[in-house]
Amino acid sequence: MKKKIWLSFLMVFAVILAAACSNGKSSSEGSGDTDKGGSSDAEQVLKIANDQEPAGLDPHKTPAHSSVRIYSKIYEGLVTFDENMELVGQLASDWEQPDDSTYVFNLVEGVKFHNGREMTADDVKYSFDRIMDEETASHISSYFSDVKNIEVMDDHQIKFELEQPNATFLTNLTNSSAAIVPKEVVEENGDLQQNAVGTGPFVFEKWVPDNSVTLKKNEDYYVEDKPKLARVEYYTMKEEAARLSAIRTGEIDMTTLTSKSAGLLGNDDNVDIKDYQSLEYSYVGFNVDKEPFNNEKVRQALSMATDRESIAKVVWDGKAITTGPITPAMGDWAIDVNEEDVYMNDTDKAKKLLAEAGYPDGFSTTITTASTYADMVDTAQLLQQQWAEIGVKADIKQIEWGEYIDTWSNTSADILIGRNGSGTDPDRAMNYFFSTDGSANVWNFSNEEYDKLVEEGKRTVDPDKRKEIYDKAQKDLLELSPNLFLVSPESYVAVRKDVKGFTPHAHNAEDIDQTYKE
Amino acid sequence: MLTYIIRRLLMLIPVLFGVSLFIFFVMRVVPGDVAQTILGTDATPQALEQLRKNFGLDLPLYQQYLDWMGGVLTGDFGESMRTGKAVLPDILNRFKLTFELTLFAAVISWIISIPLGIIAATKRNSKTDFSLRVVSLLGVSVPNFALATVIILVLSLYFSYSPPVGYVGFFENPVRNLEIIIIPAIVLGTSMAGAVMRMTRSSVLEILRQDFIRTIRAKGAKERVVIFQHALKNAMIPILTIIGLQIGTLLGGTVIIEQIFSLPGLGQLVLTAITQRDFMVVQGAVLFIAFIFVMINLLVDLLYSYLDPRISYK
Repeated sequence: MKKKIWLSFLMVFAVILAAACSNGKSSSEGSGDTDKGGSSDAEQVLKIANDQEPAGLDPHKTPAHSSVRIYSKIYEGLVTFDENMELVGQLASDWEQPDDSTYVFNLVEGVKFHNGREMTADDVKYSFDRIMDEETASHISSYFSDVKNIEVMDDHQIKFELEQPNATFLTNLTNSSAAIVPKEVVEENGDLQQNAVGTGPFVFEKWVPDNSVTLKKNEDYYVEDKPKLARVEYYTMKEEAARLSAIRTGEIDMTTLTSKSAGLLGNDDNVDIKDYQSLEYSYVGFNVDKEPFNNEKVRQALSMATDRESIAKVVWDGKAITTGPITPAMGDWAIDVNEEDVYMNDTDKAKKLLAEAGYPDGFSTTITTASTYADMVDTAQLLQQQWAEIGVKADIKQIEWGEYIDTWSNTSADILIGRNGSGTDPDRAMNYFFSTDGSANVWNFSNEEYDKLVEEGKRTVDPDKRKEIYDKAQKDLLELSPNLFLVSPESYVAVRKDVKGFTPHAHNAEDIDQTYKE
Repeated sequence: MLTYIIRRLLMLIPVLFGVSLFIFFVMRVVPGDVAQTILGTDATPQALEQLRKNFGLDLPLYQQYLDWMGGVLTGDFGESMRTGKAVLPDILNRFKLTFELTLFAAVISWIISIPLGIIAATKRNSKTDFSLRVVSLLGVSVPNFALATVIILVLSLYFSYSPPVGYVGFFENPVRNLEIIIIPAIVLGTSMAGAVMRMTRSSVLEILRQDFIRTIRAKGAKERVVIFQHALKNAMIPILTIIGLQIGTLLGGTVIIEQIFSLPGLGQLVLTAITQRDFMVVQGAVLFIAFIFVMINLLVDLLYSYLDPRISYK
């Protein structure tokens, strides 16, 4: 009996040893080949490591970035941005505007859903009806609250009528969530969280939870020569150390990285680090209802006591630039914030402002931040030191992400460190976060003049006039300082050298339509 | 014996009932809102309200609990709020990996710890004993997440090796499966080995001091026979106790290891569900883990009586 037990122990051990000693590369490539059935395009498989598991694949219901990066390859919308952030057609070949609040889209003909059915104007109507239906609880329903009527003109033409002119309408259509979906698939499955059927360059194949999502090439894709890859495999690897090691050894071809890890990979001959200015920015948010932050001078004093350059240097290894509410990656829309008084790091002026506000000796407060994100914690610690110079004593409270979101939405913290995406239209950065009724204005900030300005920005269709309005609105917002806008960091993608035809952009960091492997 | 087993199984009912109540209310008390987490900062209040309604979160608490329990009793653990997937099949599916990982880790730890523990005991106070005790202390004190990260870095930097990505089940492709699971299992196994080795050492020492061992030796039995046929069997009871406890700890240890090595097991499922406040998954998984825990304890208790006939259950 005992002999048998020992014998089986030995056998298990031998198997384990054999597995451990086998060459990792050859066996993984070997199994890769079996996966692809040994076809000639076996090598055209791109393995991407993601730091988060997708939360679902329904474009109308899921805003999580971990989901968007995947379903945006499966689904398409009417229009999109090109690499210069110019609006171009996607499922719409072109469009016209008979008046300021009417849009008529002509659809590309011969586009098929991945289930083989042709996409028509009915699908476009169905998709937008679904987005705007309360029952769907779509996160982008408010983007289309101005839509009064959608009319199918014929199979390939559709008309949108708005209540009033809305300059954001077209850019909102570029949102990955404004995707065109087939009615029958939604009805069959209840929603699209597990079954994704779109018109995009890649077809959903399978999703193994907390492990991988596999897409394959859409052989019927209506754009010639696209995509070049036969398959894309997304792997969920939450640990950065694991992602770093996997890209070093070639287990994966592509992954996003933090600035600190990008430095670690810098000397690797087999890996390229591609960086781009992101659309994100870090900020300090104040509950402007509470003392002393209800006093504009206090907020301005804290802004002047903040050395943004050192935040860029220490927190982001110098790979970040100062920003206002509209990030420089949005091009002309952003103003040069370094010219603004409240951005000058001036301790004496800050002290004077505090004294004027009635706090000559400073005050004590608490900075709340999410423990999940190292950059937010680092920022809080730097601010703690910098503000101490004008007598503001701040404690730091780190909370877990779920609680953080709660704290954010209930405005239950005095000061909150956070990060925002400034979006692709200035309306999001300005209206949505800071107008009195803005869905994400959790700061209790309200300013009638500002509200009027951003509302005007939304209704002004002429780009030049619009730019003037937002220039003024940004300056006003910096002055009123409901948030202190800090820096916009660079983002990084690490790519194996044999991956070609890949350039990340701020609004589409994983554009792999032209990507192939050499 | 049979009545004992039945009695123990019946005791499961109040235990699981208690666990279900506890986890249900704890998840409601924890700050953080599933709808807000799912819809993110872009959500309008209407969308949030609608989503809460879709999940039945607008109902009174007792109603929510009864609905959930009603489902559980008929084998329906509800659906994940995040992915819309049925909870129970997902748990069972994920458990396969966690079970495999735990089993391998346990086997590895026994292979290391029991022989070494015996050697340390038989060579008491020698240099070998001393070094083995240091090693076991290291095993107990180095946290397995640190060991895991170091191993990953060393393998990739100096050996250009990283565990293959993309988990496959054992029956799908055994070689690849082992290749994926071996390093995490070693990491997990070593942390358990330290404790078991210490227990084996002291327990074998204890037995070797007893009169009946002296008698056996006096009769001229070989040392091998003394240790393996007589001492070890008697020393197994405390070792088994710690193994039982350690398997429970291992199940917990997999949470971090699965995350570090990107393995889609039960640990990852629970961790993601907790951070996302996916109530249904957390409740179901915790109930399931409690069940497994109780069953392991029962198994250990039954093994006692197999090893030592003096222990009998009525």
